[in-house]
Amino acid sequence: MESMEIDKKSFWYSEWSFPILVGLMSAGVFAGTHMYYQYGVGAFNEVAIVAMLKAGMDGGSYGAAAAFGASFLFARILEGSLVGILDLGGSILTGVGIGIPAIMLSVGWKAPITNFSFAIATGLVLGLAIGGIITLVRKYTINQSQASFGADVMMGAGNSSGRFLGPLILISAATASIPIGIGSIIGAVIFYLWKKPIAGGAILGAMVLGAFFPISLK
Amino acid sequence: MTFVLILLKSILIGGLVGFAAGMGAARMFNAPNVQALGAFRTLGEMNACEGDPASHFSFGLGFFFNAWASTVGAGAFTQDITHRVIPNWAASALLVRNKKIEETMHDPKKMAFTSALIGIVVVVFLNTTASAIPKSLQITAVKVLVPAAELLINIVMPIIFWLAAIDAGKRSGLWATVFGGLSAMIMGNAVPGVVLGILIGKGVDELGWVKLTKIMFTVIIVLFVLSAFFRGFDVQMIESFKLPVPNWLDSLHGLFNVK
Repeated sequence: MESMEIDKKSFWYSEWSFPILVGLMSAGVFAGTHMYYQYGVGAFNEVAIVAMLKAGMDGGSYGAAAAFGASFLFARILEGSLVGILDLGGSILTGVGIGIPAIMLSVGWKAPITNFSFAIATGLVLGLAIGGIITLVRKYTINQSQASFGADVMMGAGNSSGRFLGPLILISAATASIPIGIGSIIGAVIFYLWKKPIAGGAILGAMVLGAFFPISLK
Repeated sequence: MTFVLILLKSILIGGLVGFAAGMGAARMFNAPNVQALGAFRTLGEMNACEGDPASHFSFGLGFFFNAWASTVGAGAFTQDITHRVIPNWAASALLVRNKKIEETMHDPKKMAFTSALIGIVVVVFLNTTASAIPKSLQITAVKVLVPAAELLINIVMPIIFWLAAIDAGKRSGLWATVFGGLSAMIMGNAVPGVVLGILIGKGVDELGWVKLTKIMFTVIIVLFVLSAFFRGFDVQMIESFKLPVPNWLDSLHGLFNVK
């Protein structure tokens, strides 16, 4: 990874482009919440989290969604600037996509959510602000020193954790049902002999056998 | 008319989210030198596919079925669309033509434009298809992938990061253990705490207790205190020790409960 030349001045790698990146993401996600509010489809989050927003939309309280989303957003902004990876799920999908709309709706300000262009603009501004805060925090912490802050340790750990996925999928398939377990073993073996990571083969094998021998969710 | 409206809006949303997801994910491979937008699980899983287009595609496909089911059922895409489907499919599309991950999956520009296209297709598809997918496929994907991913995120990743911290020196091991344990209790996952422990431990190893490391340490403590407060951990903790919750703390929580 160190071998690659990075042009930190270019848009694609620079610090100043980060707020724009977060802005684009937030605009899309906030507009996704608009879609959900208007058409009942298109929120970029898990069913359980969207359900909190839904509770407010159906006449209940927005409190849960607002508190949950806002605290996630706050924690992730701090963490993101220190670690170098802003957690997309906590900050944007949950914070901007659920928490902030819930706060707006709880005080009766519906326009940013009901109007599509307004939603895009609101998301963009929120994202620019979040990205800006992170860039500023970084400027006064990480970038002021030459220290690596253990980045190599973290990257090494991040890389090796991925290798565990293949065996984990096999174990999980084996406990789902016998046909799915066998399918996933066959898929993994084929991928292994084919010199591919076994995770992909294990999933495909499990899905093929699962189509012929369906299981129930519970 | 509504259909056309949903279609047009979906194209714009898919393009925006896809572009940002791809660019953010590619920047992760250059973190922390470059500030990225993504998730540790995305990083780990994309590395797990080891630059193989078929693996990236099938990994995304598994979660796509799950997301499709969730969208048809409840209107919610799941976080997997931005975390797993778009980045992995974009990586797969790029790797088919060029096997070098440094020139494809790690390149924010290529990933951004490919992901924008994939984002448009995925979001339009999800928002416009009301018809159901084969139930058996969707259940298999849920039953196999979800437990495996949860084990990876909740057990395997914390342990690997933890052991890496312990091997990296006494200071990072100590702080990773303290913060990792706390974050497992407060945030529900030990990885953020362990990462912060490595950060502060190696930071002090390299710089000593200077102004910068002190500020970072304070920020981490503030982060934990605020997370604990907003998740109601403080009250839970006091109650678990069978102590009375002070009135001022209760009313402070009442203040932040948006009704």
